[in-house]
Amino acid sequence: MNFWPQVRGGGDGVTRRRFGRSTLGLLALTAVWPVSGLAGEAPVRIALTAAAVRDKLPFYDRWAAYLTKRLGRSVQFVQRRSYHDTLEMLRAGELDFAWVCAYSFLQAEDAGIADFVAAPVFHGEPYYRSLIIVSRDSPAETLADLQSKSFAFADPDSLSGYVVPRAMLRDSGHDPDHFFRLSFFTWDHGQAIEAVAEKVADGAAVDSYVWEYMAAMRPEIADRTKIIDRSGQFGFPPMVARRGIEPALRRKFTAALFAMTDDPEGRNLLQALMLDRFAAVPLSHYDSVREVLQRSLQAQLHVQSQNMPR
Amino acid sequence: MKLVHPSAWSLSTKLAVIVCLVVVGVATVIGVGVAKKDRDALRDALAGQARLLARWVATEAGEPMLRNDIWPIYRLVRQTAAEGDANRKTILTIMVLDTDGLVVAHLQPERNPIGLPLAVHDDAERRSLASAMTVTGPTAFEDPARRFIEGVAPISVAEKRLGVARVRLSTEQLAEATREATMIVVSRTLPLAAVGSLVGIILSLGAVRTLKQLAESMARMGRGEHVPLMLKGGDEIARLGEAFNRMAEEVAAKQRLERELAQSEKAAALGRIAAGVAHEVNNPLAGILNCISTIRDHPEEPRLIERYLPLIERGLLRIRAIVRDLLIEQRAENASEASEPARLDEIREQILASIANRNIVLDWNNDVPDSVQVNRPRIQQVVLNLVENAIHAMPTGGRLRFAAVIADERFLRMAVEDDGIGIAPENLPRIFDPFFSSKPEGTGLGLWITARLLQAMGGTIDVQSEAGSGTRFSIRVPYERRGDGPAQQ
Repeated sequence: MNFWPQVRGGGDGVTRRRFGRSTLGLLALTAVWPVSGLAGEAPVRIALTAAAVRDKLPFYDRWAAYLTKRLGRSVQFVQRRSYHDTLEMLRAGELDFAWVCAYSFLQAEDAGIADFVAAPVFHGEPYYRSLIIVSRDSPAETLADLQSKSFAFADPDSLSGYVVPRAMLRDSGHDPDHFFRLSFFTWDHGQAIEAVAEKVADGAAVDSYVWEYMAAMRPEIADRTKIIDRSGQFGFPPMVARRGIEPALRRKFTAALFAMTDDPEGRNLLQALMLDRFAAVPLSHYDSVREVLQRSLQAQLHVQSQNMPR
Repeated sequence: MKLVHPSAWSLSTKLAVIVCLVVVGVATVIGVGVAKKDRDALRDALAGQARLLARWVATEAGEPMLRNDIWPIYRLVRQTAAEGDANRKTILTIMVLDTDGLVVAHLQPERNPIGLPLAVHDDAERRSLASAMTVTGPTAFEDPARRFIEGVAPISVAEKRLGVARVRLSTEQLAEATREATMIVVSRTLPLAAVGSLVGIILSLGAVRTLKQLAESMARMGRGEHVPLMLKGGDEIARLGEAFNRMAEEVAAKQRLERELAQSEKAAALGRIAAGVAHEVNNPLAGILNCISTIRDHPEEPRLIERYLPLIERGLLRIRAIVRDLLIEQRAENASEASEPARLDEIREQILASIANRNIVLDWNNDVPDSVQVNRPRIQQVVLNLVENAIHAMPTGGRLRFAAVIADERFLRMAVEDDGIGIAPENLPRIFDPFFSSKPEGTGLGLWITARLLQAMGGTIDVQSEAGSGTRFSIRVPYERRGDGPAQQ
């Protein structure tokens, strides 16, 4: 038996991924307990995904405490390994808010699961990119140089960490399913950077925000990598709310995020996240994401139709 | 220091060296044994750890492998290595391979890219990979070159075999333990050997002191002195010393006795000679006095004088012969030791003259060159005496043989042989006694003087004789070479 999967779109791949994720969901579930239990009401649960930086978890205790004060309700950050798990939990009402990838957000919105709350502003703009990184001493200069190499993706539902690099390959005339010798998921952008730094993967596609964050906060890892390619800009992974959540809670939460720049503690927290602020953006802001998404879906459908037995 | 063969070492050195070698030898044997046992125990412990680590990695890697989830497997490998390092176990490598031998995770990912067959650089690696791929349970083995111990465990989930986990622990620890054990042995052995050698030296010096005294005393005893040993203790060497002291006393007593005996023998011999002289001289004297008395009593008989005068003359001649021989003996005995060339041929003429009107043939074989130094007067006297005897033994003529050769580095050998009447067997033991003669006119002093001369020179004389067929005298006498020059004719 060959252990190595051919990473490809389509039914077979999806089935395999679903099986993996449902098992992983249980393993990777690491809950951050509420800082203070306020009697009577259930805590407000916010999911963190690969879109957020997760190298210093105690930070989220501080942020939870801050939001608890602002909302008057206990707030709890929960870690979710994959976007898929996060969306499923939003659908099931297990979560109230989530910080998800733009791609997941559109999937959730289309599916009627979640609504936009706020977009983080990074380096003055609510945008980010997909970066193609390689080891610092790698001879590769473009994504095309990574043919037949090993490659790390963040999450199959990640825009910058999966969808965009595959689109980039397709745009340059390559078949993303057979381009790499081997690819794997790290379920986290930071881990993808580490996989390249450690030379387990010859290259990786990562969120530009996470890479910048790592370059500033964990230079011993990020400095061992270099950027050889970058995509166009996309709307920054937003904070979303479960559709059907109490409007008052949603308003309060949105206001609390927007108001973080108004007090020193909030500014301090934003600084730790290397974000300028949280802001409202029009949904058209994510049009470029939708465009990539549609192109990818078409490409997948095309592949599927070609593979269909006649 | 000059190198000397061990057999020539002094006893005190030998004993010290032997004690030192024995102590070092015993310590080395024990040390090597301890170090080896230590290493084996450590090796087994290390093998157990390698097996355990491999099993741990195999267990933890199973589920992620089933899900094709590579990254957690690498993290597991890395974390296991980090923990191993924290526990001061040098983990050389950890790897997870799938059933086709492709790398799933490797502690050195750059040199062992994932998804490719494991790079093997030599036959030993190839063999260990082949055996690792077929293990059925956690196992451990030592690398043939002893660089590492490898633990291998199969990875399987729900009875499905997915691959294999391999962990290699450095044997540096073992080498270090062996080095430490060796250092301990050496550091313990050196002082032990030093103390052992010191004790050996002290003991042997004690023993050797008595032996040295013994050797010195023996040497002095050879020179005739007697110094009793001062003895301490009651060990074997002390007993040897006691025995030596007793023996030395006995030897001294014996020597005293011998000296006394020689003294009394000399006195007795002197007495015998004196008695012989008295007797030999007395007989003719009595005859002479008798003649004179008879002549005086009969002055009217002039014929008596005519008759007795020859008798008186003969008696006096005999007395003169005896006195002459005794003087010769006296001269010979007192002759200086001065060496001069042998020149044996000088006496040949003398001999030829004395056999001139007898029916005797002389065979003269002198092979002694003149460069040989001897006491010439004594030697010539000896030869002449023996030749005279031989001539007398052949009243009707015969063959007289003389031979002289250099026997060896120190002695000349000479022989005087005749084919005359020989010596009666009963007389043989007495021929060298003074005043023993089988000839009516002999003084009985010739052979005695010959023997005395040879004795004085440090030589010897032997006789072989058979009544009726002849006699042979063989003598050995010491000589010297003149200078260092070659022998000359």
